[in-house]
Formats: sequence, C-alpha cells, structure tokens
Amino acid sequence: MTSLFGRLNHFQALSFFALVVSLTFAYLSKRGLKARAQYALWAFLAFLLVAIGIGWLMYPFSQ
Amino acid sequence: MDETMDREVIKGSALLGVVAAVAGWLVPGLGHLILRRWSKAAVYFLCIGGLAFAGLAMRGGVFSFGAEDLFDRLGFFADLGAGAFYFLAHQIQSAGPDVAHATGDYGTRLFAAAGMLNLLTVLEAFDIGQGGQEK
Repeated sequence: MTSLFGRLNHFQALSFFALVVSLTFAYLSKRGLKARAQYALWAFLAFLLVAIGIGWLMYPFSQ
Repeated sequence: MDETMDREVIKGSALLGVVAAVAGWLVPGLGHLILRRWSKAAVYFLCIGGLAFAGLAMRGGVFSFGAEDLFDRLGFFADLGAGAFYFLAHQIQSAGPDVAHATGDYGTRLFAAAGMLNLLTVLEAFDIGQGGQEK
C-alpha cells in the first residue's frame, strides 16, 4: 500500500485528493444520498477543472 | 445506508458533545460512530484516514511542535488535527519524510489537509453530541 501511494503521479494524487475531499464535504454539508452524490460529483469535477485550468495558466511561465 | 430515513434522535448533552469531539479527533469517524451516525462514521474514517495514510505513504513531512517558522507552526496545528495518525506518523512512515521530491511535498499537503478535514468533522460531532441541528 505504501509503495502504491509512493508511485502516484501528479494527476493521480490530485484526483485522489479531490475525490476524498469532495466526499467528506458532501457528507458534511448535504443531507440525503442523492444530494450528497450530486454535490460530491460537482465538487470533484470542479477540483479537477480548476487544477487543470490553473496548470494551463501557469504553463507559459515554466518555459 | 442513507441516514436521513432512519436517523436516531439522541438526547444531546455537553458531555456527549465533548466525548464525541475528542473521540472523533483521535480516530476520524469515531465520534460519529459513538453518536450512531454509521454512514458518516464510515465515510469520514475511510476518506480522512485514507488521506492521512496517503500523505504519510508519499513520505510527506510532518510538522513538529516548537517550530520557529510561522507556517511550520500552522502546519503543526493542521497535522495535529489528524489525531492518532499524527502520533503514529513515525510508525506508519518508517522510511521518514522525503520532501526533496514532488511526491513527498504532495504528501505533506495531503496529511495537513486530512488534519484540517478531521477538525471539521470534530466540530460536527461536537454539535450533534450537544443536540444541535445536523445535515
């Protein structure tokens, strides 16, 4: 298990982080399975979208 | 299981709130388990425990008490929020931290995020234990 997490690339680590944080926020802030699932999915996709967007915005500065 | 249909109404008290909060801080989800919020307890344990374990497995840094730098001190309080994972960090992470690589740096953030998330669940457990409204 330790070596599995140690081998994660950047995007995999980001996706794992986004998934568990989205699920926790959904259970903290929403009531009902459907509302929680919708919120978790929305938050997960928002995490990925914002991270990829910021990555693209920073790309020119890495050259 | 969805708790909204069969949520047990518990008679809240200040003592129950404190016990749930301390238990939830020590082990993510344990406070909710005491309060019979089964699905929340399972999700919090798996998500926050998984995040903390991943942070340590990625050889992230763990901040210690007494750091001189302000950010390190904030990091200490964030890490401390992970409860038992903080105190067992050296056992789980036997190889020690390696923040010279990007993976180790991500691990540092993941572990701190686990601590902060756990503090949010501790506040919720305290509130439910006192008989407050919950989501």
